[in-house]
Amino acid sequence: MNAVKTRADEIITPRELKEHGVAYVLDKIKRGDGFFVTNTERDLSQSDFKNRVMPHTQVLVAEDRNDCGYFTLEISGGASVHVDMLRKQISPLEKLEVLSALMPDTMFQNLCRGINLFGYRPYPENVIRLTVQSFARYVHVWRVFDFLNHIPNMIPVFEEVQKAGRILEPSICFSTGPEHTNEYYVKKVGQILDVTGENIILCIKNHGGLGTSKRIGDLTKAIMDRYPDMIIHYHGHNTDGDDVGRIVAAVRNGARIVDAGDHAFCGFFGPPPILTVVDTLEEYGFRAVGINREKVIETSNKLRPQREFYKDFESQFLGFDPTAQTHKLPGGATGSSFEQAVKGGFLDRMPEILQKELPRVQRELGNWWSVTPGSQILWTTAVNNVIKGVRYKDANDDLKNLMLGRYGELPFYWPADEIYTAVFGPDWKDYVDKEKGYQKIEDIDIDVERRVLEHRLGRPATGDELVLYLQHPNDAVSFFKFEEKYGKSWVLPPEVWFKKSGFNLGDKYEFSDAFGKQHTVEVGPQRKTKSGDAVTYLIVDHHPEPILTELEQEAGAAKKKPTLTPKEIEALGKTGDIRSPLKGVVNEIPVSEGDEVSAGQVLIVLEAMKMLNNVLSDISGKVTEILVSPGDEVDVGEPLVVVKKDG
Amino acid sequence: MGKNVMVEKKTITKVLVANRGEIALRIIRTVKELGLSAVAVYEKPDSESLFIRFADDAILIGNGPRKDYLNIDRMIWAARQCGADAIHPGYGFLAENAEFSAACEKEGIIFIGPPPDVIRDLGNKVVAREIMKRANIPFIPGTDNLSRGQAGIEEALAFGKIHGYPIMLKASSGGGGRGIRKVENESDLLIQLPLARAEALSAFNDENIYVERCIEAPRHVEVQILADKHGNIIHLGTRDCSIQRRHQKLLEIAPADLPTDILESMHKTAIAAARQAGYINAGTVEFLVDAETNEFWFMEMNTRLQVEHTVTEALTGVDIVREQIRIAEGEHLDIPSERVQLMGKAIQVRINAEDPKNNFMPEGGKRVEVYQSPGGPGIRLDGIVYQGYKIPTEYDSLLVKMTIRGYNWEQAIQRLRRALHDFLIVGPQTTIPFYLAICDEVDFQKGEFDTSYLETHPEIFKYPNSEREIAKLSKLIAEIHAKKHNPYAI
Repeated sequence: MNAVKTRADEIITPRELKEHGVAYVLDKIKRGDGFFVTNTERDLSQSDFKNRVMPHTQVLVAEDRNDCGYFTLEISGGASVHVDMLRKQISPLEKLEVLSALMPDTMFQNLCRGINLFGYRPYPENVIRLTVQSFARYVHVWRVFDFLNHIPNMIPVFEEVQKAGRILEPSICFSTGPEHTNEYYVKKVGQILDVTGENIILCIKNHGGLGTSKRIGDLTKAIMDRYPDMIIHYHGHNTDGDDVGRIVAAVRNGARIVDAGDHAFCGFFGPPPILTVVDTLEEYGFRAVGINREKVIETSNKLRPQREFYKDFESQFLGFDPTAQTHKLPGGATGSSFEQAVKGGFLDRMPEILQKELPRVQRELGNWWSVTPGSQILWTTAVNNVIKGVRYKDANDDLKNLMLGRYGELPFYWPADEIYTAVFGPDWKDYVDKEKGYQKIEDIDIDVERRVLEHRLGRPATGDELVLYLQHPNDAVSFFKFEEKYGKSWVLPPEVWFKKSGFNLGDKYEFSDAFGKQHTVEVGPQRKTKSGDAVTYLIVDHHPEPILTELEQEAGAAKKKPTLTPKEIEALGKTGDIRSPLKGVVNEIPVSEGDEVSAGQVLIVLEAMKMLNNVLSDISGKVTEILVSPGDEVDVGEPLVVVKKDG
Repeated sequence: MGKNVMVEKKTITKVLVANRGEIALRIIRTVKELGLSAVAVYEKPDSESLFIRFADDAILIGNGPRKDYLNIDRMIWAARQCGADAIHPGYGFLAENAEFSAACEKEGIIFIGPPPDVIRDLGNKVVAREIMKRANIPFIPGTDNLSRGQAGIEEALAFGKIHGYPIMLKASSGGGGRGIRKVENESDLLIQLPLARAEALSAFNDENIYVERCIEAPRHVEVQILADKHGNIIHLGTRDCSIQRRHQKLLEIAPADLPTDILESMHKTAIAAARQAGYINAGTVEFLVDAETNEFWFMEMNTRLQVEHTVTEALTGVDIVREQIRIAEGEHLDIPSERVQLMGKAIQVRINAEDPKNNFMPEGGKRVEVYQSPGGPGIRLDGIVYQGYKIPTEYDSLLVKMTIRGYNWEQAIQRLRRALHDFLIVGPQTTIPFYLAICDEVDFQKGEFDTSYLETHPEIFKYPNSEREIAKLSKLIAEIHAKKHNPYAI
């Protein structure tokens, strides 16, 4: 018997979970001499780098991180599943497979939005179960939440996680205001335990970094007082600059696991630095179990030179934002909000939106939790209210569904009648009475979906591909096609992947491909061809390889790009020439060519900023032409549908 | 051995090359080597063609496409225009047109090829069979031209009764794999015979058809012969052209892999056939060979320089075009048989801008953005492709013929594979990966193949389209460079 416990004895590995099960691991946490640390790489990337931290960077520090002694590496879920496919061109499952091979001693954690999985809208139950089964191969700890703290929305995920022998970490989403009492949250914990049983970790999910350290300390204490055996995992954001304070208060009051990030990549809206948390708590007499300081520092030493390649993805507004306490935007959405404000040209209205309208909308809609997908509903509503100058005009379906209770009961109160009038019109009462209620999503025929996918790919699909397709169909197909053409490009360093304005002659890059083969690529001269394309001479593994890039198409596409003002779009709409009012993706086309439509009828549903937006017909008439298909990306002013006026 | 005939000797000084593309260039090269002037003709779409740049002079004969290369009057006009005293017809277009040979003769221009009556006789399959019969040349049992109407049907049915099915219906004026129908049984015959006749009429303006026994999956072996005006006839060995796609040759090998006694017998038969036909100049006697028994039968005689003549040249060291010109001048063939080298192996592949996986769909209209060709020992290239070359939509999609020579079959395949790999063609799809797949196929490596090779080896079309991983990544890096941002990251 060893008299002294070594670091290796204290940490919890995936192997232990596999061999001894969940109860054993939870018991080990309870017996641990101190608190555990989760490295929230995914949330850091999402909050401060628009989710763009690339697999290359994660691989670069995988071995060091594996030796850090973290409770978990939070590396999947949230918006990352979507962004992995959409912007990083990696399968979110392959990413986990690659990293888990490099980090055999570290458990992986994710963030799952319950019924919304890793997306923005409820999924059918059979899709939820299949998805959880698939991701549970690599994800050991599942942090699950619902934006309304509506427990039934989380049950299928709970069940599948427990069935897979993984650790379930249900969350209580935290916010502030008169309704958000300790009593409310303690009761919510009880309701969770009723469905999960006692073998869980409980997450206090403070996605907005809300409340003071005192408030978090009090809440932790209240839960611990009622459930003294509970393992609490505190998750917060450093948006106001004081998450260290909240973490310290949580641990001093009984939390056993906390979230923090690598200091080299810490920003303003994600987690605070690991070492700061560790050192501060040490002064208070709390030991960080298993943490290897040197390796934490070594990780950041390796990360530091990489940060410059991500600077384009840091927020447009840098600096802490204590007003988060009022606007309550989750840290994970702060950066992207500023990005949208820049793209939408309303950056100057942001103070008004964030400090006045958003808090007002929050209160009016029920003061529930500003987290996906609720945070998008609040944000879009507030932006529309300010930009359009008329409040609650042209409400999108997500807000309507929410107000009809289709996503679940609102926890505290329903919006006032005047809001219903603004959203549903003067005759709202009958309509809402008839329509109100929880909307159960019917199971879909997964075999049919598989056949559709295989048709779109022109080849058989793997099980993983089907799972990814069921999350985000169009983006998954685009990714699969990308991968077929360009290979496993996630091996490329960020300095190549994010390169702007071309390389310099003689730039040389070395990297391993996904199959472990080492390559060198040196950039040689480039020439234009007669047809306007480009031939780039790369020296690939010491052989000159001229590569043709077709540019003509792109130039053509750029030419046809319409630039219309909202006024022009509206004017064209009155003539039946329906143009896209925004940049987005065609989600659904509820009409067909030849259909008779009336003014106000939905012609196209566009998805933008994660929200569905209806494009309505301005006139009554016949649909003569539909110029787009579901999945098409459309730009502002792009023609969508032609309606010919009656008579 | 020469017959005692009076042959008038003429001197050629300027040769009009009545063709286009790689064969025009190939002829121009030898014409220039002989110190003669080479004049190219071209249709307008060929204005930027490489063969024109190699000629001493070039004459635009029309807007084409194809019709001016087929116009005898235009060719004679062009020859008059530039003062050419000889015309080389190449292959295709007017090469086997007896009228063209006759027109040249009439105009006092030397036609570098056989005399008109020889072309005419051998161009008609039934006449050709008659000639071969007289020389006791073995040929596939078959009928004469079928009589019209019901009598013809009866003749065909009777033939089927004696020789069994399947049988072949062939257009008497057909050739090059066209105008052939396979018939499986009597009822099939009754359906197909009228169709074959109608087809023959529309395709060759001659409704005559005949019946032949069908040799299943034979090998296609041919003998290159040279015949001078003095009655000297020599052979330059055999070529195995079994690897075909719907009777279109893709890959040719010299010599054919047959036992020595069979080869010798085939050489003799070919010479006898040429002699019986009164053949002059370069020609090819084609045989079908039973892949099991090596029994062979006369199929047809081609009265032109063939696409695959390069494989014989690579093997024997004889410049066939040079001999054609000398024969046309009335010179004696003076190639001693011991100088005709038949050792080793030569292979020719036709590298076309086509997508083999898509039924060899031509890539017309695409541009060859990058072109690098192989070199080194044993490599011969006959091509018109260059960096910036646009695959014509008006003409064929042949980029370059590559002929390689090896010490033996094994080395020939190794060299072919190496040379194919050394090509760098960016822009159109080509037949290169298809040939590489053949190089790696076991039956081909063992030398076991016949005319059914492509049908019985569908796996050679399943070569991976996926490039090497690094090639894909390089494509992306080049795109990020060319577009000045990564469109897949934002």
